[in-house]
Amino acid sequence: MAYPYTHEKETRVLSRGFGDPATRTLAGWKALEGYEGLRKALGMSREEVVETVKSSGLRGRGGAGFPTGVKWSFMPKEKKGPHYLCCNADESEPGTFKDRELLRWTPHQVIEGCLIGAYAMQAEHVYIYCRGEFFEAVQVLAKALEEAYAANLVGEDILGSGVSIDVTIHSGAGAYICGEETALMNSLEGRRGLPRIKPPFPAAVGAFGKPTTINNVETLAAIPHILRHGGEWYRQWGTERSPGTKLFCVSGHVKLPGNYELPLGFPMKELIYDVCGGFHEGRSLKAVIPGGSSVPLMNAEECESCTLDYEGVVKAGSMLGCASVIVMDDTANVVKQVRRMVDFYAHESCGQCTPCREGTQWTARILKRIETGKGTEEDLDTLLELGVQMTGTTICVLSDSAAAPVASSIAKFRDDYLALIRRGERVGAA
Amino acid sequence: MSDETPNPTRGSIRERGPFRNPGWAGNTGEFDLTEDQVRGDDFVGERPLDGGHPSGSPTFPYMLADKDPEAPLFEGPYAQRFEKIRSRYPDAQAALLPALNLAQELRGHVSPETMREVGEMLGLSDAYVRGVATFYTMYNKRPVGRYLIQVCTNISCNLCGGDEVLEAFLAATETELGQISEDGFFTVMEVECLAACGFPTAVQINSRYYENVTPADVPDILARLREEGA
Repeated sequence: MAYPYTHEKETRVLSRGFGDPATRTLAGWKALEGYEGLRKALGMSREEVVETVKSSGLRGRGGAGFPTGVKWSFMPKEKKGPHYLCCNADESEPGTFKDRELLRWTPHQVIEGCLIGAYAMQAEHVYIYCRGEFFEAVQVLAKALEEAYAANLVGEDILGSGVSIDVTIHSGAGAYICGEETALMNSLEGRRGLPRIKPPFPAAVGAFGKPTTINNVETLAAIPHILRHGGEWYRQWGTERSPGTKLFCVSGHVKLPGNYELPLGFPMKELIYDVCGGFHEGRSLKAVIPGGSSVPLMNAEECESCTLDYEGVVKAGSMLGCASVIVMDDTANVVKQVRRMVDFYAHESCGQCTPCREGTQWTARILKRIETGKGTEEDLDTLLELGVQMTGTTICVLSDSAAAPVASSIAKFRDDYLALIRRGERVGAA
Repeated sequence: MSDETPNPTRGSIRERGPFRNPGWAGNTGEFDLTEDQVRGDDFVGERPLDGGHPSGSPTFPYMLADKDPEAPLFEGPYAQRFEKIRSRYPDAQAALLPALNLAQELRGHVSPETMREVGEMLGLSDAYVRGVATFYTMYNKRPVGRYLIQVCTNISCNLCGGDEVLEAFLAATETELGQISEDGFFTVMEVECLAACGFPTAVQINSRYYENVTPADVPDILARLREEGA
């Protein structure tokens, strides 16, 4: 059994090197045909590289699922000044733990993806924005980058192609919001991580006022494979609209939590009961959050026929997000967990927009009141009303993300709330 | 809630053996990698204080047990690292976060005086630097112990007992949240998701991750730190 659990149903493309220290090294990565994708890309025109990525149908793995090739094609064709590529390694969505694994086990995979992206978009500098807590992963990445510089895979005149690309690792300092692409650029520029109003979009006015594209680590890690084997090859997995493989981060009440690389469209029940070994004796499924803490909760019924692709999860009443599947069995206290998530959003709100700054705090306080048995049924209506006002009214979606689990949990687990409220009323009367 | 059913996920499922592989995501005892291999230390080796290659100099690779709140900003290899950082960005302002990181690495926390000094070096006003520094949670605004223990209590860890691990650390170090223990060794804090959700409970101690931590592991971890820091 390899890192830390594997399963025969996995398709290990990006995660092939997980758990193998040899893959960290340049030699180890080259042994897996590493940097062949870069070599191939440098022999193609920039348009051909973008077309290849478009044809693969790869969608952004950071949560929004926007087609990567299309995003790349938004960058200006004619270059009037510097272009930048940012690799978003500010992984901090609760439930998500794939990027850290990609960085610490396969740093060259990430670097190669960055280089191909930078070539396609004429970016001369790539910033890999890593969250500050990733000390260990960042040291591995820095060492790998040093190797790549020494081997002339990064820097001036890469492999004699005449193309020069620099890569710099930038460490954040602890702010969830910096994972939002415009906040990330502000943070990179040495400002507070406040999201910016769009438009202008980053491809027009991005980091340092220059055209910029921001891609997730997992997105960029898939690029070398797509370049090496072609767009059609990548489409052998997944569905028509959600092609390829995806790292599913499963956490919570399953026997074997971990990262599993599976084709998109994989059935959720098979993931939970087969791949992750199901629940502890005598326990059963209560709720699933399929895409990290920002998406609506699903109940057991909704999980029945849900397939894990972008469209399938929407059909089942939630969103795939970054495929961070948080599983709760029947021992879970849903109200407490929702309160914990909202506490998180209240802590991480940047404070720019009133509905978010005030709304997350109010929501957290009301939930705490309910959790401790001091709530009333009217509180539930207040929470729902607050959620409406917090959705679609702010610069970024942090506020919407806080509202989604509240509204969905009240709709789907109302009895859990009522039990706490009624018990509180009984205690109060006694 | 006091009458909550104890969570069966911890301990019982994995049948954890003794605390063997701190930091090893999995820690099930079925793997033959060493801790160095898991953490990547065998690959990284010792990173020089001057930051090595400029591409990695803006990172925050060290969080040292030895802190000197009076350390000068920046001298010797640290001055070289500061220059390398500057060289990687199109303007001075962008070097602010890495420079504050560097200052905290040396001094252990970022005091208003440190903010002023860093601002001066980059030509930024005191108010601006303070606005930025207070936005980010990783800048310690007050001194911390030799080992900063940050316990994740966010949803995935919470489902598997993060709250109890936090309690265990507080009890074992005889501190309240954010306090420095009497011997100066430990400060325990609650932290938001550390991106190690599959290996709950995740704990970060200085620059290291400890995963699959249960309350039963806490004495072993503290003993190890006391030994390292002695």
